[in-house]
Amino acid sequence: MSHFDENDLIKLMKLSRIDCSAEEKQRFFKALSRVVSYMDQMSEVETTGVAPCNHILETMTNVMREDEVGQTLSRDTFLSNSPSHVGGMIKVPTIIKTTNS
Amino acid sequence: MHKLSAIELKDLFVKGEISAEQIAKHTLNRIEKYDADVGSFLDIHADKMLRKAKELDAKKKSGQKVGSMAAIPVAIKDNINIKDTITTCASKFLTNYKAVFDASVCKFLEEEDALIIGKTNLDEFAMGSSTENSAFKKTKNPWNLTCTPGGSSGGSAAAVAARLCPLSLGSDTGGSIRQPAAFTGIVGFKPTYGRVSRYGLVAFASSLDQIGPFSTTVADTALIMQTISKSCPYDSTNIHQDAPDYLSCLQTASLKGKKIGVPWHFLEKLSEESKNNFNQAVEVFKSLGADIVNIDLDILKYSIAVYYVLATAEASANLARFDGIRYGVRSQKATNLEEVYEFSRQEGFGPEVKNRILLGTYVLSSGFKDAYYKKAQQVRTLMVQKFKEAFSMCSLVLMPTSPIPAFTIGEIQDPLQMYLQDIYTIAANLIGAPAISVPSGFNKNNMPLGIQIIGPQLHDKEVLCAAHSYEQATGHGKIIPSYFDNEVSK
Repeated sequence: MSHFDENDLIKLMKLSRIDCSAEEKQRFFKALSRVVSYMDQMSEVETTGVAPCNHILETMTNVMREDEVGQTLSRDTFLSNSPSHVGGMIKVPTIIKTTNS
Repeated sequence: MHKLSAIELKDLFVKGEISAEQIAKHTLNRIEKYDADVGSFLDIHADKMLRKAKELDAKKKSGQKVGSMAAIPVAIKDNINIKDTITTCASKFLTNYKAVFDASVCKFLEEEDALIIGKTNLDEFAMGSSTENSAFKKTKNPWNLTCTPGGSSGGSAAAVAARLCPLSLGSDTGGSIRQPAAFTGIVGFKPTYGRVSRYGLVAFASSLDQIGPFSTTVADTALIMQTISKSCPYDSTNIHQDAPDYLSCLQTASLKGKKIGVPWHFLEKLSEESKNNFNQAVEVFKSLGADIVNIDLDILKYSIAVYYVLATAEASANLARFDGIRYGVRSQKATNLEEVYEFSRQEGFGPEVKNRILLGTYVLSSGFKDAYYKKAQQVRTLMVQKFKEAFSMCSLVLMPTSPIPAFTIGEIQDPLQMYLQDIYTIAANLIGAPAISVPSGFNKNNMPLGIQIIGPQLHDKEVLCAAHSYEQATGHGKIIPSYFDNEVSK
């Protein structure tokens, strides 16, 4: 059905925000090519007019409830796992570069 | 004491023949003696467990009513949150992540006075079938320490199989409870999708994930299911119906006149050894009065392809939250925001997790989404229909749990080959059905084998009853691996 090539892998790394070493790239390319061609066997199944299964529970209905104020995490608790924070805010490296014209 | 089931332990405690503190100490002693061999635990909350045990003893002494899980030690897979303790998901990414809330299942267990021991090993983010993908260590199979215990809930399975504790919780996305249960000779149950709240379980594939127990008897599974099947407002897929009294139901369990479906044609490729074992189990069902009927589930040959499209697609979305910003380990090399994402994920995730994120991103990407993701959803619909047809002819389906017994550590290197091991377990996740693995004997190398009973959605009770009848007639699960069958004195 489709041919998985190295450009696909480069694009996927970008989309997934995962940097890979050269050795990893080689390994993932081999593994993904094999798995993708295995998945192609689904094309044997006739699915014209078959609805996609979006949710599996037959009994599930939309549940409504009153909007009530409950307990939420405090800011300090939330920030306790952040790798870097200052003044009650999460700290990240520079996002927008300043240029001196 | 290690030979006792959870129910037997609780009964001794309730009768006053043993204290919760004695049970807690016994458990911690066994873990100290044996876990270096098995490697089932990642973190042991000894102080917390002993404190809870002492509180429970005082509660009982004061005449207060104790909970339904009183003094029963329970181990928790390390992708389920326990407040103020580390939840790693066996990933380097989360080595420093301290849970800020309790998973509902842990809250329910605490409320019923269970003794939570600590966290067990798993394949990183529950992605794997052998627990070899843990970033921290490899868990061993108590029946042969050179073999894997299966996965991804291998730590929870091995802990119960080695009788370090009578009960544990795992999570099952494509067989991660049932396959390790079969590999280690114990009971493993994946409830109906939504039956058990997943609030506090780190999400892998949200349309498939379900929390469930490991135990040495079906009755113990029924007991813990009653505790953890409570309605939960924090999980939108939770079934808001009270669970029946599973334990009482077992007492009247009977297979007499029950129609049990077997997909004989789909099982044709089973190895001779596994086929013989399965056929023996079928004979037991017949001898208990069940009527075996042939059903057509040939569509399941596509289940691995469908599963690995859907599970990886969902995983790629679920794991996008690991960005090195709000929690987890941030790369020290990163100098800008893009690098925070890319380097943190590069350094934090192991190879199988990266592989699955990349695959999931591929099947969702523009140009391929219809050919893979949508196609897989359509084939999933057809599988649901085929099972509906099957369940119109029978009340339960019987299959082996795994095509092979436990394999040696390092034996399966190819990811696709590893995925193919899930051929019999995936279907229950794809159709949201309850399914149990029960010990069905041993192969010529004395490694355990398991059979699997699948029921229609919300027929968890019927599945447990059938498993109980089979267990009572056979008793394979009573056998303890000899290396661990010693009383620990201290």
